[in-house]
Amino acid sequence: MSDLVSVLPEIVVTLTALLVLVADTLVDRRRSAHVLAVLTVAGLVIALFSGPFAIAPGTHFSGFVLVDTFTTFFRAVFILLAVFATLVAPGYLDRKGVAPGEYYATICFSTVGAMTIALSTDLITLFVGIELMTIPIYVLAGMQRSDRYSNEAALKYFLLGAFSSALLLYGFVWLYGFSGATELSKIAKALASGGLTSGPAIIALTLVTVGLGFKAAVVPFHQWTPDAYDGAPTPATAFMSVAPKAAAFAAILRVLVTGLGPLGLDWTIVLAILAAVTMTGGNVVALAQSNVKRMLAYSSIAHTGYILAAVAAYRAGDSAGAAVLFYVLAYGLMNLGAFACLLYLDVEGTRGATLDELNGFAKREPGGALAFAIFLISLTGIPPTIGFVAKVLVIQPVLDAGLVWLAVVIALNAVVAAFYYLRVVVRLYMYDAEAGTPTLVPARLLSFTLGLSALAVVVIGVLPDGIYAWALQAAAPLTLR
Amino acid sequence: MIEHLLTLLVVIPFLGLLPLAAFLRNPGAVKQVAVVTTFVELVVSLVMLSRFRVGEAGFQLRESAAWLPSLGIRYELAVDGLSVLLVVLTTLLTFISVLYSTKVIKERIGEYMAAFLVLEVGMVGVFMALDLFLFYVFFELMLVPMYLIIGIWGGPRRVYATLKFVLFTLAGSLLMLVGIVAVYLASGDAGSRTLSLPELVAARGRFSAEFQFWVFLAFALAFAIKMPMFPFHTWLPDAHVEAPTAGSIILAGILLKAGGYGFLRFGLPLFPYGTQAWLPVLIVLSIVAILYGAIVSTVQKDLKKLVAYSSVAHMGFVTLGTFVLNTQGAVGAVLQMVSHGVVTGALFLFVGIQYEKTHRRLIADLGGLANRWPLFTTFFGVFVLASLGLPGLNGFVGEFLVLVGTFRFNPPTGLGGLTWGPLAAIGVILAAIYLLWMFQRVMMGTLRDAYRSLPDLSPLEVVCAAPLLVLTVVMGVFPQPFIAIVEPSLQRIVALATDTTLAVIK
Repeated sequence: MSDLVSVLPEIVVTLTALLVLVADTLVDRRRSAHVLAVLTVAGLVIALFSGPFAIAPGTHFSGFVLVDTFTTFFRAVFILLAVFATLVAPGYLDRKGVAPGEYYATICFSTVGAMTIALSTDLITLFVGIELMTIPIYVLAGMQRSDRYSNEAALKYFLLGAFSSALLLYGFVWLYGFSGATELSKIAKALASGGLTSGPAIIALTLVTVGLGFKAAVVPFHQWTPDAYDGAPTPATAFMSVAPKAAAFAAILRVLVTGLGPLGLDWTIVLAILAAVTMTGGNVVALAQSNVKRMLAYSSIAHTGYILAAVAAYRAGDSAGAAVLFYVLAYGLMNLGAFACLLYLDVEGTRGATLDELNGFAKREPGGALAFAIFLISLTGIPPTIGFVAKVLVIQPVLDAGLVWLAVVIALNAVVAAFYYLRVVVRLYMYDAEAGTPTLVPARLLSFTLGLSALAVVVIGVLPDGIYAWALQAAAPLTLR
Repeated sequence: MIEHLLTLLVVIPFLGLLPLAAFLRNPGAVKQVAVVTTFVELVVSLVMLSRFRVGEAGFQLRESAAWLPSLGIRYELAVDGLSVLLVVLTTLLTFISVLYSTKVIKERIGEYMAAFLVLEVGMVGVFMALDLFLFYVFFELMLVPMYLIIGIWGGPRRVYATLKFVLFTLAGSLLMLVGIVAVYLASGDAGSRTLSLPELVAARGRFSAEFQFWVFLAFALAFAIKMPMFPFHTWLPDAHVEAPTAGSIILAGILLKAGGYGFLRFGLPLFPYGTQAWLPVLIVLSIVAILYGAIVSTVQKDLKKLVAYSSVAHMGFVTLGTFVLNTQGAVGAVLQMVSHGVVTGALFLFVGIQYEKTHRRLIADLGGLANRWPLFTTFFGVFVLASLGLPGLNGFVGEFLVLVGTFRFNPPTGLGGLTWGPLAAIGVILAAIYLLWMFQRVMMGTLRDAYRSLPDLSPLEVVCAAPLLVLTVVMGVFPQPFIAIVEPSLQRIVALATDTTLAVIK
């Protein structure tokens, strides 16, 4: 019984997904997008509040599941992201004729997968979680069946995703062969006694890093990202740009920091170089984009780099883990928001949003433009926003770990990023709409949701202490041993 | 309420945003809200000045509260002789800018005034923040509103100018952010770290000489770009030419001061060894800025660009006075900042008024305006004379003290004040040349027919300019009260920067 209680939120989200699928057949077609959204959000909120009841110390399901502060933090983040991804979608789904029941249920299934990653202490649970999270996302990407770009996105994402899963699994097999166990704690012990001098350990570590790097879109394993993000339906893009990345970092922290922690000293430099290459690569390519959806896709790669920098700095202790967690939450809020702002523009006959389509946005949709500008300023890392605090929190452990060069790379990258983010603000506020500019979609629910998350971006930016203290607490189990 | 005067100064413009948002689509109400808010802010800052105890060196009216307890970061505000005049200058110039803008800004006035109020929060906050993290937040908070003000209400090339302004500023400030985090980590062991200035000064023995060398560089880059010092000044002429008049007033009057203020507030006291190490470079760059700014001003065809380049030269005096590391120089630097804020703010105001009437800014297109505009000519003439450093007006006081400090500058190695002093003095002569020549070409000569029917200053314009004129004369004739406010604090800062007994870890 206590086993079941420990995964209560996961059970609630799963039930919500099933309920939505059933309700889909009962609700009037014309109103189903909104009704089912309300149902989904209600289920997710119940799941969020069931979290405190699911605290059960120790491992469960014979050592496959561990619910600690780390799990609780990520559960909340994933549910929050799913709520936002649900609330911004209804108008779009109606417009594009995407089946709403399938969309919401798929989001929920993917969320369960992501939550499973956060509670795994074992390679098997971890891998099941990763697959359960990713497979629904392939579906999400291709949900707009009549759109060829959507099909392309789904196929590309699926092929490369399957490829990376195979690599990851192969790495897990090496770890198992090396240590004779699938529990992360036992693997850590085996590695600690063997050290990095042994060939199998290096092979396993490389394969795991590459596999998780694919999932998180680390350069040079990022090639699937722009096409998948660009082609997928915009609300799905908003979700898939944040949730899988957050989940990938949950996995990276669990495996690379907890499991392979004893070898950390030798692996820092690999992660640091990957981080520098990732943020620079993402930013430089984003500079050249004229389609905002693609630009945001590349910029999300750059953000992976910033988060990875904090992972690389985990010698600094709790502050590094907390920086990762805080950044993941901040990135989730602002990036999901930025993608969702494109929903105003996504009308028949346009694809995503070119910079020209954004001209004069502020005059046509003042509230939406303000929210968009706040998200972009936050992504740039200018105070008083959550993105700024997140960047400071990343720079702190990076310097603490002695990686001064990486901190300077982060700062310079933020300037490059400022150029393309602020170029969008220029279009919003400093250009006038031309004759050919498509009209915007009026969307009250969307405006409300965006307003709420923009407010959160600013409020947490001014008063981040509560969240940071929570992140510190959540990161503590990672570095205990 | 009265115990929290400084917090009040930060909060009032924010409170103004609420009625502003409510009346966003009603231009008349928006103007009233903005004018009233900035006026109340000005009055509160004057109350603050009246409660400031002259003659004390330390921080006054200090407020301190935990902000980010998990990191030991505090919400800490205070003023001292260095900052108190700059705060009042900020509120005064913002009020004048908003008042003047009610007449000239026709489009999207609600957003315009909102940007100014947010900008004001950032500006007063920068001069009052004692915690480095808080300082950085305010420092960056000035950026976005000014970006929008130039980019939305600016001239034809506004987008280029505003992006250049933001990217230059961000490049500097983000490196400073890395420096701030480095200071934080070096300030103590985990759990006892701080960014509060007084505590950092007490703990500065933990900053090794090499650490100071690099971190001072990170700070200096941010401040040098903001000032701007040669060779980081290239964003300034573009930003000024494209900015609306009020934007130029605030940019020249306040934003540039944040750089000079940052050097004196944080650079000198925290990193004495870093200051010593970079001192020769900074002095040479100051001299270059003074001479280069003056020479380039001489050949400008555009009136606004001329004033912009003259700012580069004037700010050169500020950095020169700062880095000769004696009390006269430092006091001169602060007074130069205040008087430059008043005078150059006024010059931009008059260039703007002139442009509103004639719609010409090229010097060659103007001429003979004195025949028709006696009032305009009087005001403008006084400000031009103050800008070139005529004794009896405020520009003279700062430049004179900086020159005295420079001549007394006598480092153990390298070139001393007897080299730099005369070179800086040449800059003063050059200022007379380009400013008087400009005045002659714009105001004297024959009047064009097109300008014959143009009216002289309106009452509103007189109201905007009068306080600046009064300050220009009063500060020039009675500089002593101002020096008395500034001197003790600057003595303390210079003593901290030149403390020969300070031992730092290796």
